[in-house]
Amino acid sequence: MKRSVIVDVTARLILPSALLFALHLLLSGHDRPGGGFVGGLVAGATIALIFVAGGMDDVRSVVPVRPWTILGGGLAVAASVATVPILLGNPVMDNWKLSMDLPLLGDAKISSALVFDIGVAAVVIGTIFMVFEAFGDEEPPEFRGEVRPAPGSGQRPEVES
Amino acid sequence: MIATLSLHLAIGIGILLAAPVLRRWAAPLAAVPSLASLAFALTIAPDVLDGEPWTATFTWVPGLDLSVDLFVDGLGLVMILLVSGIGLAIAAYSGSYFAPNATAARTAGLLVLFAGAMLGLVTAEHVVILYLFWELTSILSWLLIGQRHTDPAARAAATHALVLTGSGGLALLGGLVILAREAGTWSVVELLTDPPGGTAAGVGLGLVVLGIVTKSAQYPFHAWLPGAMVAPTPVSAYLHSATMVKAGIYLALRLAPAFVHLDAWQPVVLTIGLLTMVAGGLRAIRQDDLKLLLAFGTVSQLGFLFVLSGSGFEYATIAGVTLLIAHALFKATLFLVVGIVDHQAHTRDRHELLDLRLGTGWGPVRVCAVLTAASMAGVPLMAGFIAKEEAYAAFVYEGGAVGVIGLVGIVTGSVLTMAYSLRFAAVFWRQSDRDDADVTPPSWTFGAPVYVLTALTIAIGLVPAPIIGDLVDVASGDLLGREVAGELALWHGINTALVLSVLTIAAGVLLWRLTDPFVRLTGRAAPPIDGYRAFQIGLEGLFTLARVTTTRIQTGSLPRYIAIILMVVVGGPALVAVATTSLPDLADPLDVPVQLALAGLIAGAALATIFVPRRLGAVVVLGGVGYGMAGLFVAQGAPDLALTQFAIETLTIVAFVLVLRQLPARFSRSDDRAGQLRRMGAAAVVGVGAFVLVLAVSGTDPTTPASDLAVTQAVPEAEGRNIVNVILVDFRGLDTLGEIAVLLVAAVGVTTLARVGRRPPRTGVPPLPEIDPLDPATIDKDART
Amino acid sequence: MTPWIALPAVLPLLAAAASVLVGRSRTAQRIIGLGTLTALLGLAVRLLIETDRNDVMTTQAGGWVAPLGITFVADRLSAIMLLVAIGMFLAVLVYAIGQGDEEARHVGFHPVYLTLVAGVCMAFLTGDLFNLFVAFEVLLVSSYVLLTLGGRLAQVRAGTTYVVISLLASITFLMSLGLLYRATGTVNLADLPAAMEALDPELRRVFLLLFLGVFGIKAAIFPLFFWLPDSYPNAPTAITAVFAGLLTKVGVYAMIRIQTTIGPDDTVVGTVLLVVAALTMVIGVFGAISQQEIKRILSFHAVSQIGYMVFGLGLLTVAGLAAAILYIAQYIVVKTTLFLTGGLVERASGTGHLDRVDGMLRTRPLLGMLFLLPALSLAGVPPLSGFVGKFALVDAGVSSKSWVLVGVSLAVSIMTLLSMNKIWAGAFMGEPTANAEATSPLPTAMVVATGVLVAVSIGIALGAGPIYAYAERAAETLLPLAGSSAP
Repeated sequence: MKRSVIVDVTARLILPSALLFALHLLLSGHDRPGGGFVGGLVAGATIALIFVAGGMDDVRSVVPVRPWTILGGGLAVAASVATVPILLGNPVMDNWKLSMDLPLLGDAKISSALVFDIGVAAVVIGTIFMVFEAFGDEEPPEFRGEVRPAPGSGQRPEVES
Repeated sequence: MIATLSLHLAIGIGILLAAPVLRRWAAPLAAVPSLASLAFALTIAPDVLDGEPWTATFTWVPGLDLSVDLFVDGLGLVMILLVSGIGLAIAAYSGSYFAPNATAARTAGLLVLFAGAMLGLVTAEHVVILYLFWELTSILSWLLIGQRHTDPAARAAATHALVLTGSGGLALLGGLVILAREAGTWSVVELLTDPPGGTAAGVGLGLVVLGIVTKSAQYPFHAWLPGAMVAPTPVSAYLHSATMVKAGIYLALRLAPAFVHLDAWQPVVLTIGLLTMVAGGLRAIRQDDLKLLLAFGTVSQLGFLFVLSGSGFEYATIAGVTLLIAHALFKATLFLVVGIVDHQAHTRDRHELLDLRLGTGWGPVRVCAVLTAASMAGVPLMAGFIAKEEAYAAFVYEGGAVGVIGLVGIVTGSVLTMAYSLRFAAVFWRQSDRDDADVTPPSWTFGAPVYVLTALTIAIGLVPAPIIGDLVDVASGDLLGREVAGELALWHGINTALVLSVLTIAAGVLLWRLTDPFVRLTGRAAPPIDGYRAFQIGLEGLFTLARVTTTRIQTGSLPRYIAIILMVVVGGPALVAVATTSLPDLADPLDVPVQLALAGLIAGAALATIFVPRRLGAVVVLGGVGYGMAGLFVAQGAPDLALTQFAIETLTIVAFVLVLRQLPARFSRSDDRAGQLRRMGAAAVVGVGAFVLVLAVSGTDPTTPASDLAVTQAVPEAEGRNIVNVILVDFRGLDTLGEIAVLLVAAVGVTTLARVGRRPPRTGVPPLPEIDPLDPATIDKDART
Repeated sequence: MTPWIALPAVLPLLAAAASVLVGRSRTAQRIIGLGTLTALLGLAVRLLIETDRNDVMTTQAGGWVAPLGITFVADRLSAIMLLVAIGMFLAVLVYAIGQGDEEARHVGFHPVYLTLVAGVCMAFLTGDLFNLFVAFEVLLVSSYVLLTLGGRLAQVRAGTTYVVISLLASITFLMSLGLLYRATGTVNLADLPAAMEALDPELRRVFLLLFLGVFGIKAAIFPLFFWLPDSYPNAPTAITAVFAGLLTKVGVYAMIRIQTTIGPDDTVVGTVLLVVAALTMVIGVFGAISQQEIKRILSFHAVSQIGYMVFGLGLLTVAGLAAAILYIAQYIVVKTTLFLTGGLVERASGTGHLDRVDGMLRTRPLLGMLFLLPALSLAGVPPLSGFVGKFALVDAGVSSKSWVLVGVSLAVSIMTLLSMNKIWAGAFMGEPTANAEATSPLPTAMVVATGVLVAVSIGIALGAGPIYAYAERAAETLLPLAGSSAP
């Protein structure tokens, strides 16, 4: 894929603020418009941006973990929020809050809803990442009239073992 | 008895499972349950003969009143003795007949299971349990007929028997359930003591008779029985002559006294029975295969038995029970004889056998064959004579139209029986004089069951009263509900019955002499198709109907499926709503100008999607639908939803673009104008339907919707001011959990599908299927792909 | 409040997540899958016992009151369905592990299988219609992915039909939920009967028909069943077994729930159901007897047999409903077994096409027995479990004087037997063909899993007394009014 300098630079400029915005949406979602889902979507959109700018190789170098891990980890967090309370004898997905007095940051609240929302965001990001992994790698050979092994196929996610 | 049945089940299944190991030991093992059953019969015999039926019960499904109730009265005792006694003979015989291999062992195992089922049938006191064992005998018969499964004829015959007796069995079940409901009891005895009347009971009884008629191979359902002769001979001897086909007779004997007062009963029974007796006899004379001759002879005799057992007359019932015994003895013996001949000479053909010489060492078998054939023919000194004499006497005694018709019928049938019996016996007394035609004689053990059974036939023929007199009297008495005295004897003095017997024998001999011209003559009068052919045609018709129906319905066309499903699911309720409810008026469109504009945008974009020729264009226009929805969310004051919807739409378009790189740029267009019109019509129906449904609920006014609760509880209880988010992660967090699981799974699916597209194309197959990929009118698609 | 009853719905999701995280180790995935299902089996047994003691057990997700929060409800019907379902999932997983194929090749098999389990469990336990929608989504997407996991073109093609029609079902479901919420203000099943009282009876009927139609697509009743015979036969065997055995029954379960919740005495709809039942039976069995391939025959039977269950439901009596429940429970076992045996035949001979395989009886007699018992049971031959179910239905039908249905169900039985005979005569009888001759041993896990299921179905027949009694109590809970008026 040909790289465009303009897109490249724009992407690099937007990236941090977009990610911050995603984080903001995630953390403030309980009180203001936002939440894990839309936060995840915005973060996922940044992946799209990086992809447009630099293709899958850039995406992989920016995101340190594999999509499988993000997906699995996200679901694990969210499902734990649902399951652990049952094991403790409470209703499924019982809500809890922790208030902490942290040095420097002051009052910090962590609630089950927030942890759950983080899991949601992770799954959304993982899914978007996965779609790019699946389709974003290169143009399929058969529509260019030639058949060749997919470049970089060795680095593709572990689908087959 | 329960122990005996369990023993049959255990040993039968044990033999089946251990067949490859058992081989030669299967036959002796198979004899054990029969011995146990005989021992049981002997222990209860004194009580039963004293008029005290034996009973037992075993709970199964109390909620459905299903319990394994068993009882043994006189008839039950007769049947147990026959089933187990002949079962013992068959087991002994099988040891010599079969090569000692796993298949033979499996046959022995199935025979044991069959014997168990048969014992259950004749002792069942609960109508459903009766059906249960009845159907089991059908299934085991099917498996046993199919034992020589490499033979296509065997497979066809097995199917035939299964379908006919299976259908009959289900008719029986339906009939019995109706009768039991009408009578208010599941007990066989109670049902017959106080038989229900009325139309429903009549229908039920008709179904039961259908079951009897198919099982006992009565015309016009007889054809499966000769077909079943492809089974190994011990199986034919046991199932298709001595025992299973008697199940119908057994049931007819039980039912007749209770239902004989119905107007239709006797005409139906006599017509079917006499037709079967005469037609079966006519077919038997024509056969050259000795086994088929016996098979049609069995059909004929079953007709005879049906007439006797179904007529409900006291003496006919006695004759029926006697013939039941005599027939089991002589028919089993004759089949075993044919089996021996077949086994030693490798042919059962009459002509071929006449060219062979059953010389030294064959004496006992030949004598037994001729004597037993004489019993079948009803020649004096044999058991068959006693039974037939009793039958003649019964109809003579009864008189009237029924008596005369019955008498004429059974005399005609008996003349035919005499003729085919002679034809059978002739093979054994006429011998070729060629020296090279000697057939190896059977071993002593191979012949032993034949000798024993023949001895019994003769003994009963000579002195019936001491041997079976009490048994027959008690069995008949239990059926009729009163004391009876059959006075079975060889010599009753010179009477009408004796004269008729003499005439029968004379006419039979004459007919035998004239067999060839007679066969030519009756051949011309034979119906153009036989029962087997008719069955085949019926089956073919069913298959064709099924195929045509399926091809019509399961067309493989996805658009068609979608149209039908949506029209039913959405259009159906909408139609009901229009027809039965009062729809409220539409809201004034001017009250909601923004919504109206957005709705117009959505509808326009949706319509445009259809007409855009390029895929990418369609995706973009489709995006318009989504953004329109987002706009509606904003208009309704839900910025959260709008934000999410915008993000989703955008990402969807990006994803689409990625995927579209792998698809042709343009849609393939269909020229099928009529199809397009049909689809447009369907779409219109569904769209209008959905609108009607929305309209129908718009007049309702729920008192406290859940959203009110959400509004009041979000801040104080969930500590969140964004209600949408509180609902998503807290109030209804589990839904969200489910949906993110969907996302994860979708991610897995995406990678799988992407690989399909990435694979180098094999033989020009498109990498991804079109939306309508299914080739219409392919029921058997896999043959093509 | 009994929080633990929600565990079967969420525990498999946690396990699925774990399974994703350990994706590189198939052994770890297997341990997670088998361990989770074994634990769930234990839970299901406990649920079966406790619901019988308490009639109905509930828990509110997050402790939020209904209709704000999601209610989980377990009654006898949920418990019996859950137990049978989890038993099947466990047996099929063992079979799949023995088979290898997709299970061994694809890292996604175990996670997706577990989400499918979660979807099914959630569907059986939820007392909230929207949550039921989510459960359907989970099991739909999981089943779609499992269907296409092999990545073969035929599978993708079959999957297209499956997923498009399933999505339609989802959309109509969602639309119906929207309408219902607009009209009643609740999607909680327990609140619905009261909320529905405010509506016109005609509108209630419209809703009932709407939901029955939506669930009817999932259940594959006539005329909504087209997708099933076109998609199931192409899935990997183990997957088809779960689909045909279980998934359509989730649809039937939902039909039972909605009918008993909002229309327990709507005899008009009951009659509609009876007509649909008869047509489903007949059209399904017609399809079956015109096929030449084992999995296709069995798939059409999956349609036909649904008719029997709807028959029991349509009678709207305790006896009919109890019969339907008993029938479903035994049928799930029998049908799963049949597909597994069909898979063994394919495994042993390389094809499931009746024209190309012969004589399995000679080369593999044990396989013959594994096929014959469930096949006869499916056809309702006594004394197997299918007979007890069918007898219960016929008895209930006779009590309600539904003569036509009784007649049709008996006639369809014989046609079922005919098509089983077709497989028997086609694949098992005859001279062994070259491909049947190859006698490499079948994987032990596959045979054992199939054998255990055969034993279970025999166990159901033997223990039909207590099982029917349980089903009857379940039906009485569902139809309390009809129960009291019964003689």
